[in-house]
Amino acid sequence: MESVRFSFPAPEIDESVDELRKEVRAFLKEEVRSGGFIPVTDCWCAGVDPDFSRKLGQKGWIGVTWPRQYGGRDLSALHRYAITEELLVAGAPVHAHWIADRQSGPLILAKGTEDMKRNILPQIAAGKCFVALGLSEPESGSDLASVRTRAARVEGGWEITGTKLWSSGARHCQYMTVLARTGERDPDKRHAGLTQFLVPLDSPGVTVRGIRDMSGVEHFNETHFESAFVPDDAVLGAVGEGWKQVTSELALERSGPERFLSTFIVLEKAMQHSAAGMNGHQAAVFGSILARIRALRAMSLGVAALLDQGHSPEIEAALVKDLGTRLEQDIIERLREFWPIQMKQGYGDEFQSLMSDSLLRQPSFTLRGGTNEVLRGIIARGVGLN
Amino acid sequence: MEQTDQLILDTAHRLFADQCDAETVNRAENCETPDRLWQAIFESGLTLAWVPEAAGGVGGSLALGFNLIRQAASFALPVPLADTLVANLLLAKSGLSVSAGCWAAMAFDGHEVPSLLQGEVSGVVEAASGAPGATVVVVPVLEKEVVRIATFAPSAIDMEHHESLAGEARSRIIFDSAIPSQLSAPVDGMTVDGLKQFCALVRACQIAGALEKITDLTVGYVRERHQFGRPLGKFQAIQHKIADIVGESALTGAAVEQAVRKLSAHPVPFSGDSDMLLPLATAKIVASEAAGRVTRNAHQAHGAMGFSFEYPLQQYSRRVWSWREEFGPEFYWSGRLGMAVASGISSHGSNHGDGGTWDLVSQ
Repeated sequence: MESVRFSFPAPEIDESVDELRKEVRAFLKEEVRSGGFIPVTDCWCAGVDPDFSRKLGQKGWIGVTWPRQYGGRDLSALHRYAITEELLVAGAPVHAHWIADRQSGPLILAKGTEDMKRNILPQIAAGKCFVALGLSEPESGSDLASVRTRAARVEGGWEITGTKLWSSGARHCQYMTVLARTGERDPDKRHAGLTQFLVPLDSPGVTVRGIRDMSGVEHFNETHFESAFVPDDAVLGAVGEGWKQVTSELALERSGPERFLSTFIVLEKAMQHSAAGMNGHQAAVFGSILARIRALRAMSLGVAALLDQGHSPEIEAALVKDLGTRLEQDIIERLREFWPIQMKQGYGDEFQSLMSDSLLRQPSFTLRGGTNEVLRGIIARGVGLN
Repeated sequence: MEQTDQLILDTAHRLFADQCDAETVNRAENCETPDRLWQAIFESGLTLAWVPEAAGGVGGSLALGFNLIRQAASFALPVPLADTLVANLLLAKSGLSVSAGCWAAMAFDGHEVPSLLQGEVSGVVEAASGAPGATVVVVPVLEKEVVRIATFAPSAIDMEHHESLAGEARSRIIFDSAIPSQLSAPVDGMTVDGLKQFCALVRACQIAGALEKITDLTVGYVRERHQFGRPLGKFQAIQHKIADIVGESALTGAAVEQAVRKLSAHPVPFSGDSDMLLPLATAKIVASEAAGRVTRNAHQAHGAMGFSFEYPLQQYSRRVWSWREEFGPEFYWSGRLGMAVASGISSHGSNHGDGGTWDLVSQ
């Protein structure tokens, strides 16, 4: 009988990581104190503030792992991990640059042209250039291989036609990474014939329309491409390799701290409210949540360590996202016992508003970046079931 | 972990695999002593893993011992190896002599410990572990708030043997002005709460090992078992149960590993220091919560087969159900963890932290 065993080693954290963490924490404290931003729940998806992103860029806290020649600082993945954790737990409005920092930048670094690297990466690192994801479509959600957006070869480049849906923050972005069909559909090779493009969103033929979500925010977008022309060098990576690129991109973004800390700001405020007069029952509820957060953090850091050692912990990463996103939802459900959620955001005090906002945002936690059902399929296959 | 630790673990794994199959475990519960397993363990010196080389032991790290305990639990080892390891560690830490080739009982269940007055021990331990078959009973005792370690020959004290839910020996021991055969000097930095935290981590490691085995059994079963013309593992409903089992089991592993690392970095493993409470409580909370979730899904996936005595699943279910209660269930440790963080926030200013929950839980 084969054994299913995982190990979550501790990453090697040197002093410079702790120093950087302290620096980021102090900066965020001062920003909150001076009114630089008001903490928001689910800040990496709902908190859009391009000015704040620029400030972080000036601090040198975006794209820190990239080479200096492309605007980065050659720091380790753990430096980035510490920055992102501190931003998340403070509820800082980081959505504008989040996707570019987390995955589009690394994708450009790995697969982009030298021009892209020289021109776009420094702009992203400066907090001035934002990138949206063009994956889902009206007829393609979890089944991403069924995308219909098509890129047709024309002289000097490609013409893209189709619709991308649910792209977060696209209206603030200068670019979108678009997954499009470049080869004929083949029922036997569903994943073949797909290609990624880096499309400037001000290209002729591209229109972006905001979609309001149930929490009242217009961060989703629908993007139409009407024979939008992009030159040959807008191809990201190799023609026909889009599926492989997208899945490895998604696998790597599953285990970060944003998969269990999206509602931490609410928990922090709840603890601050109740610390002085905490009774035994409240303590047990908080303690149970905090233990799970600590365990998930050990798991997530373990995945970071494994990645750092050159492993591909795909199952482990899927586990972090499946467990972590459900925990983010559970936190709100369990806090309801002490703070019922009844009114729309804006009514009641700041904390009540955060609770309402969290409840209205939480259905997305277990959907975005691949639904938990898809992840569980990956986990089951990973242990030998299919 | 060091390379020699890994060698010892590999040896132990082979030993357990050779000498402890499912039948051995079931037979042991029907009072058939697994003599060959006993012999093999004593010959290998595994009971001395935590005893320094100078005292005749293996001199293994804390991590080695906890990994050994986890691995033993993944075989439902029907011998008190974990209890003997802890008892021998206490003997070694307190400067008392340790015997090779025998079991040692741990007369400590996380509750009040007997008191020591003018060289005599009095009090009751409700659930000592490993007592039948032990040649020495190891008892932490309190004298004026100070912990010492006392030992007794089993024949010299009054014991009632009971069985836990899993058929593991748990004994009620009454000390009535009993005179110990060995009594240590006060042990530096050792507290009753520190002992309780340490033993809670032992149980959490055992749960982690048992959950790994339950995962293997369940994955194996749903691959083999066919219904409606295909393996159970092809059904999405079953796959999602498996994913839940794998997730809870992996999370438990991560929780005990972080606790073992923190404890290993601490100069005194039994101190009960406030900075050890969070990692140790985390391990026991996550493990105890997982015990319920994993067994529910595993039994559901196994159908009636998992409910039978013959099939090994029940040996692991019953173990994790009893271990999750011992040395404090998830409810107890959650309350303590919550209170500790709350008081860390309230006392902000008098300590080095920044008064944030995050600062406290991310240490």
